[in-house]
Amino acid sequence: MDSLIGVSGKGFVIVAADMSAARSIMAYQYSDHKILQLDDSKVLGGAGPQADRVRFLEYIEKNVKLNALRTGLTASCHGTAHYVRRELADALRKAPYQVNCLLGGVDADGSGHLYWMDYLATMQETKYSAHGYAGYFILSTLDRYYKEDMTLEQGKELIQTCINEVATRFLINQPKWKVSIVTAEGVTEEVTQPTVDLTDKIPE
Amino acid sequence: MASESAYSFSLTTFSPTGKLVQIEHALAAVQKGSAALGIQATNGVVIATEKKVKSPLVDDSTVERLVSITDGIGMAYAGMGPDFRLLTRKAQKKAQEYYLTYKEEIPVLQLTRAVAKIMQEFTQQGGVRPAGVSLLIIGHDHDGPQLFQVDPSGAYFGWRASAIGKGYQQAKTFLEKRYADDMELEDAVHTALLTLREGFEGR
Repeated sequence: MDSLIGVSGKGFVIVAADMSAARSIMAYQYSDHKILQLDDSKVLGGAGPQADRVRFLEYIEKNVKLNALRTGLTASCHGTAHYVRRELADALRKAPYQVNCLLGGVDADGSGHLYWMDYLATMQETKYSAHGYAGYFILSTLDRYYKEDMTLEQGKELIQTCINEVATRFLINQPKWKVSIVTAEGVTEEVTQPTVDLTDKIPE
Repeated sequence: MASESAYSFSLTTFSPTGKLVQIEHALAAVQKGSAALGIQATNGVVIATEKKVKSPLVDDSTVERLVSITDGIGMAYAGMGPDFRLLTRKAQKKAQEYYLTYKEEIPVLQLTRAVAKIMQEFTQQGGVRPAGVSLLIIGHDHDGPQLFQVDPSGAYFGWRASAIGKGYQQAKTFLEKRYADDMELEDAVHTALLTLREGFEGR
């Protein structure tokens, strides 16, 4: 039921995730953080059963940190993405992680990259992508409105448009979303809500 | 120092003067080996080594003194050839493991550290002995051309120019005089050959 949306542009990447933790008919909380900050220039969002997701994201987070301490270097987004994929691949035929990921990062040269990974260790760099049911609704939205030379503000608006679309059409209530924004200056996080008023949809 | 030799039986026991005598002996093995040297230039780095064979009957095409660890990293040595072979293979494997994980070529420094780690483990594990080689590792990556030396103790150093093996002291003195920060690769190769020629014995 998790929704993950990612958009990358020149010099930025935005990864958004819903914050609902739910099972069966019950919503436990709306403060579940599904995007972890790996370092000053990368974030990793995960979708899947909470146990696997938390374990995997924290495992990656700590290993990225360890690697940075050992080498004194910040790994590239490309290298980190392949490392994450390798962890998924190695675990696949032993004890698989049921986690679909979006890794977003901005490299030292200022270029933004977004990597889509699934629990089978498939990986593809994308300009924009999504995980979960959200994708069914907003990939076409992104196809329509995404522009390669978008500014950060336009990127944020596009994410909000997607969140609103999911809120309108997806039957599951996801009232709060976390948005992680990565630029050359670092990582910032915001919490947003859908800004669509569904009463508009009720005919007179 | 008679008491030093009393500690030379054990790799993992310090002598009273704070040395690991086996490593000192390993360094002696290095100093008897054929010379090798390296020079870093502004646009590249070069290692050069003497390939002297014991007899004209030896097929010298089968003697490997300079080895590629990856397409971007090379290694030379002074000391025991078989130990070099082992370290070469381990270094090549480490480089490929790195690529398998990150899909990026291993940076020179990271490869050097991996090799140095292996050589240090040879000084502190059971049933092994220190490697009887010093290594010169060169490569080119995001940080430009680099030259590193790794000793039997596992200590590694970054150099602008260095020499190991027979006559390394004189070679280093020669290099100190001749080295310039703005040297280009052509000059560096030329200087490397001159330096080797200085220490060359006979034929």
